[in-house]
Amino acid sequence: MKLVKKVASQPENANHSQLGRSTMNRRAFLKRSGISVGGIAAASSLPLSMLQKKAHAAATPAASSGDETKTIRTICTHCSVGCGIEAEVENGVWTGQEPAFDHPFNRGAHCAKGAAVREHGHGERRLKYPTKLVNGKWTKVSWEQAITEIGDNLLKIREQSGPDSVFWLGSAKFNNEQAYLFRKYAAMWGTNNVDHQARICHSTTVAGVANTWGYGAMTNSYNDIHNSKAILVIGGNPAEAHPVSLQHIFRAKERNNAPLIVIDPRYTRTAAHADLFLRIRPGTDVPLIWGMMWHIFKNGWEDKKFIEERVYGMEEIKKEVEKWPPDEVEKVSGVPEDLVKKAAKLMADHRPGTFIWCMGGTQHTIGNNNTRAYCNFQLALGNMGTSGGGTNIFRGHDNVQGATDFCILSHSLPGYYGLSAGAWKHWSKVWDLDYEWIASRFDQNSYEEAAGKPAKPMNTKGIPVSRWIDGVLEDKEKIAQKDNFKAVVMWGHAPNSQTRGPEMKKAQEKLDMLVIIDPYPTVSAVMHDRTDGVYLLPAATQFETYGSVTASNRSLQWRDKVIDPLFESLPDHTIMYKLAKKLGFADQLFKNIKVNGEEPLIEDITREFNKGMWTIGYTGQTPERMKKQQQNWHTFNYTSLLAQGGPCNGEYFGLPWPCWGTADMKHPGTPNLYDMSKPVAEGGLTFRARFGVEREGVSLLAKGAYSKGSEIEDGYPEFTADMLKKLGWYNDLTDAEKALAEGKNWKTDLSGGIQRVAIKHGCAPFGNAKARSVVWTFPDPVPIHREPLYTSRRDLVEKYPTYEDRKSFYRLPTRYGSIQAKDYSKDYPLIMTSGRLVEYEGGGDETRSNPWLAELQQDMFVEINVVDANNNGIRHGDQIWVEGPEGGKIKVMAKVTEHGVMAGVVWLPFHYGGHFQGKDLRSKYPKGSDPYVLGEACNTAFTYGYDSVTQMQETKASLCRISRA
Amino acid sequence: MHTLNQVNQPRRKLTLRSMIILVLIVIVAPLIPYSVAAVKEGLSNPNPGAQLWRDVRQRDGTVVGQTQARGVDSGILISKEGEQWRQFRMQQFTPYSAMIFAAVIGAFVLYFLVRGRIRIEGQRSGETIQRTTLVARYIHWFAAVIFVLLALTGLILLYGRWVLIPVLGPEGFSATAIACKNIHNYIGPLFLVSVVLLFFVFVRDSLFNFKVDTKWFLKAGGYLGGSHPSSEKFNAGQKAWFWVAILGGLVLALSGLVLDFANYGQGRILMQDAHIIHSISSVLVIAFFFVHVYLASIGMEGALEAMTSGDVDTNWAKQHHDLWYDEMKGQGGGKQDTEA
Amino acid sequence: MARMKFLCDAGRCIECNGCVTACKNEHEVPWGMNRRRVVTINDGSPGERSISVACMHCSDAPCAAVCPVDCFYTTDDGVVLHDKDVCIGCGYCFYACPFGAPQFPGDGAFGSRGKMDKCTFCAGGPETDHSSAETEKYGRNRLAEGKLPICAEMCATKALLAGDGDKVSDVYRERVTYRGASAGAWGWGIAYSKGKQE
Repeated sequence: MKLVKKVASQPENANHSQLGRSTMNRRAFLKRSGISVGGIAAASSLPLSMLQKKAHAAATPAASSGDETKTIRTICTHCSVGCGIEAEVENGVWTGQEPAFDHPFNRGAHCAKGAAVREHGHGERRLKYPTKLVNGKWTKVSWEQAITEIGDNLLKIREQSGPDSVFWLGSAKFNNEQAYLFRKYAAMWGTNNVDHQARICHSTTVAGVANTWGYGAMTNSYNDIHNSKAILVIGGNPAEAHPVSLQHIFRAKERNNAPLIVIDPRYTRTAAHADLFLRIRPGTDVPLIWGMMWHIFKNGWEDKKFIEERVYGMEEIKKEVEKWPPDEVEKVSGVPEDLVKKAAKLMADHRPGTFIWCMGGTQHTIGNNNTRAYCNFQLALGNMGTSGGGTNIFRGHDNVQGATDFCILSHSLPGYYGLSAGAWKHWSKVWDLDYEWIASRFDQNSYEEAAGKPAKPMNTKGIPVSRWIDGVLEDKEKIAQKDNFKAVVMWGHAPNSQTRGPEMKKAQEKLDMLVIIDPYPTVSAVMHDRTDGVYLLPAATQFETYGSVTASNRSLQWRDKVIDPLFESLPDHTIMYKLAKKLGFADQLFKNIKVNGEEPLIEDITREFNKGMWTIGYTGQTPERMKKQQQNWHTFNYTSLLAQGGPCNGEYFGLPWPCWGTADMKHPGTPNLYDMSKPVAEGGLTFRARFGVEREGVSLLAKGAYSKGSEIEDGYPEFTADMLKKLGWYNDLTDAEKALAEGKNWKTDLSGGIQRVAIKHGCAPFGNAKARSVVWTFPDPVPIHREPLYTSRRDLVEKYPTYEDRKSFYRLPTRYGSIQAKDYSKDYPLIMTSGRLVEYEGGGDETRSNPWLAELQQDMFVEINVVDANNNGIRHGDQIWVEGPEGGKIKVMAKVTEHGVMAGVVWLPFHYGGHFQGKDLRSKYPKGSDPYVLGEACNTAFTYGYDSVTQMQETKASLCRISRA
Repeated sequence: MHTLNQVNQPRRKLTLRSMIILVLIVIVAPLIPYSVAAVKEGLSNPNPGAQLWRDVRQRDGTVVGQTQARGVDSGILISKEGEQWRQFRMQQFTPYSAMIFAAVIGAFVLYFLVRGRIRIEGQRSGETIQRTTLVARYIHWFAAVIFVLLALTGLILLYGRWVLIPVLGPEGFSATAIACKNIHNYIGPLFLVSVVLLFFVFVRDSLFNFKVDTKWFLKAGGYLGGSHPSSEKFNAGQKAWFWVAILGGLVLALSGLVLDFANYGQGRILMQDAHIIHSISSVLVIAFFFVHVYLASIGMEGALEAMTSGDVDTNWAKQHHDLWYDEMKGQGGGKQDTEA
Repeated sequence: MARMKFLCDAGRCIECNGCVTACKNEHEVPWGMNRRRVVTINDGSPGERSISVACMHCSDAPCAAVCPVDCFYTTDDGVVLHDKDVCIGCGYCFYACPFGAPQFPGDGAFGSRGKMDKCTFCAGGPETDHSSAETEKYGRNRLAEGKLPICAEMCATKALLAGDGDKVSDVYRERVTYRGASAGAWGWGIAYSKGKQE
């Protein structure tokens, strides 16, 4: 009659990880490892048996002979900080995890997820073998059968509807080699309908920032924050999303007395350590930033010299800023004048200051306006290109930076080359393939125009992940491609991170085939009511393979393989080989990449992208250089990331891109972008000359400012072979280099000679220009405020309306004004916004399958203010409905707080899945692969709304209503 | 006529007084700003850390923090009640209860040595009358066995650490303690049943009669010399024992249930309080129990039969429960004892 | 000999729960038992502070005092450990502990909680160092390998410090000195603010 609570204790003869020196195999280890089953457990240990066990145990000698423990170095798979991990492996079993004290990013530290990665070696809830949905039942199939059937279906769809009818959704958790391979794979298949998480995460950052000064990545590094005299975080909660970054932020806070300013609608854990907290209405970043700049300009705090020399168009910004005096700022954003001024003054008084943002700023219909406003703020203060300053954008997944750089994106080829013929020709050369053959793989018809001429799908932006459901559901006549999506392959990407859940369910049900390739089933396996046509292929995690990964600060790190793939899973690149072989383009895809059995050689892939990624300098990071750095973590300085002596002497940790030229050039990497205090050869940089040389009579090149040691003591355009000739430097090229460089520029010269020579003369290969505050190619050249599509401030809609509807944007009709025209605020009075929890990552199936993490966050919840709770008769802990204006509704627990969120705003974490509109879908998971914790996905309730440049979804400002369940 | 002394006397007094006043002013005056500051103190507490640590230490009342770890009291960082409870159990309860038990047992050893066994006046008559029914006896022994088991196991758990570990060793005592704990915890709920049954069986005879029972108490039941006071079926002492056993037993049982079924999320403070109540009442009941057992067995001739055969000798009844005997005689209840 | 102590710097703890999962990872602590937890005071309000707490290895350990079977012992390093084989699962140590460190696998019906489990300062238990019995019952023994508790070693912001009390004090003292005003020293915010104030 013993009543035991939900707990797992070891069965009587279980052993924990055998850290004594005895051997065992993985199966035995897992069996004996006392893992929780996540439900009612067996009876607990009986006292008398423990007595017996001790007697037995005493007979076991302490250290017996056995296999030694190997220590394997890898990088965490969860966020972009890129913490080092030291895994202890015995006989192929992952038995221990030691802190990686030597690693310069984290020095052994971890957050909850990083400290729990060893559970990947347990993998209790992993997808164990290829599975097919047959008549509503999950059926085990072999790899061969799965690949054959999937391949046949894909080829059939290709024949009937064209290559654009398959959506290839890739992953930010691919390593660099897999990411690059995937983009190439999609090109071989013949479509630009390929995308990944960056679209819904920092796409507006990349677009906005790159269009301001050349590259769209974090400009400094987490470690460089040690040098900051002020830190501003807007729309970000690094205490939960990048906890180890707080190690660096605290260093600045404690040693430099740097004030930490946090701007957020919610009093987050980061705000708890802030010196100044500004509570902002979701979606009003531009008014607030302009409000801060109003004070900066009014008091003359701007860095006039910097603006004069390195910025174009600041006067336009000034004009816009004049429209934002304090009372207008307070009216729109809710932040009073004294706080706005205080924030501005703190940043102005304490320079260099760094500016950090995350999804709170990016996930809006005006995301690109927000990110450009942030950039302009830092430009105005002259905080760019200096250690301690910069726009330190904290990216999300462990390799979203790499996946973005390799452009698993529907609008570009790897390296941000774009989709023009020139871009394709460049990559054809790198891939050693016939350009015409590649072109023939695409749909040859035209469905839209570009620059007045018909454009082919090969050169037009594909449908992004935020809109894939419209690719399925939209009237096919209105889509700028041949047909709807008939099949979607979700490869390392969860569905519950995209909005409009009920429509997504319909889309999944309408497809001919849905393929999920992931270590875990993901919510895609359960949220629809399909009975057939779904395949689950088990992919291996990054601990079961090896390769390079790019952290948010652009450092590349090499991972070693910790354990062999669990169960029947395979590494992603092996699966790509199998599919490519079935689909008929394996020879082309792997033309210069050795394939061992079915596994492509990772190092060959690295070397291939080293040959082609000239735009962002992924050319100097060879496997050898990266591996050497991995073995010498301890030689890199904690603040500067420069190796001080040792085998990597002179290099920056991770050879942060741009790492110019070929590896022979031994460029050390660029730790802080746009920093002119160093020669380019030592990691210095200028702003990129990307937007032309002149506009409306004004020069776009830098004015009298140049990097240290530059032989051109002024601005200059990007380097071409012809420019080298004009400068008289052409003969610095070797003959071999000349052969390839002739007629090319720094991006397309496969020899790397143009880059080498430019750097030799102290110049940046991409030119030396001004950053532009006005992006004349964007819908809003000067960033302005527009109310979110679903807004509760109807009084502001007239003055700050959203865009007009577009007929075709990324091939799809995209609505703006027609949605904002309707007033939803009466029926849906509360602002709905979302965010992260430290215990979980992304769509959450992986982390919710880790018992050590799942135990800490067992319930999906919505955080509501006590006033709204009382107005709706809701008490803390009640189950309530949260309903969005598009009909999606979710049943979640109410977490009532007084100060967390303000009245009128509710906040939801987005990591949950497995419940759908009140229904528990646990039984629909393949047996043994359901995560421990399930919950409603907040995105079931979130709504339409897409950024005007990148189609980023608006998940930070929508509307909802709540009611007791 | 005034002498110089006399003239100077008032002046000296004045000087002395003013000196004293001056000294007092010098001492008191600087304190004035402090008192003003103390009044203002509530307005400005410049140490931001102070309030945090007050909350952590629960100085201003219970402050429950937020935590992701699920468990009893997991939101409390530092609980001071635990130390208070530890002091109670280890510094007060354990030694004092031992002393009380020793005193009670000692008292009866002494009494026996001095007074000896209380004999039946005029020997046994040979006639008996029924005192307790079979049901009553059954229930009594049911309760007795349970109580003894619980008391014994409880005492072993309380004192065993000092008394039995030296004898049995740590593992040996651990096994003993585990057995005691299990017996105590599984039998415990039955105790409540037994107390309730006992109540219904014996309550009618345990209701106090003010006149009779007060006299009995004033004469100390005759145990300390003097004549034997009148007594109903149960004398005042027995009635007192009844009420101690029932009320004390209820308290033990209920507090015991709180302790025994910790699976309802009881917080530590509740468990500590239940333990304190349980332990104090156990001492009370066990102490009385010692008295009851002594008197019912060796202390008094003829008493045990009341609970074994159920029939008592008439002389015994006349001697110790005269009013009851008279009442029973009036109803004609007697049985010839076959063999004395 | 070094006296082992924990110190959680509330000025740096961000409630990332890294210490919690690191401990679970290292010792394979089952679901339902948390040797270490992070508690946040004033959650969501200015003044929010988090503190990570586990067994503090007290000098005069209340748990050891109240244990009916005297199953606790203190090592030379000052680490308070107990013998699960002797433990009877009565729960008294949990009542006495100010920090709520003892954890039990069972829920307590009929007082059956199972054997008490708690933070061992990564020092294992009475079994032979590194034996499978020790690992299975108490988790890994890092101290015997010359390492320090994994929770502190993996703390994201180095808020949680563990080790020789003197060294821990030194580290914390250095931080307090750097922080100046925000350490909470009375009056320092005004007297020594280093230009942070306006």
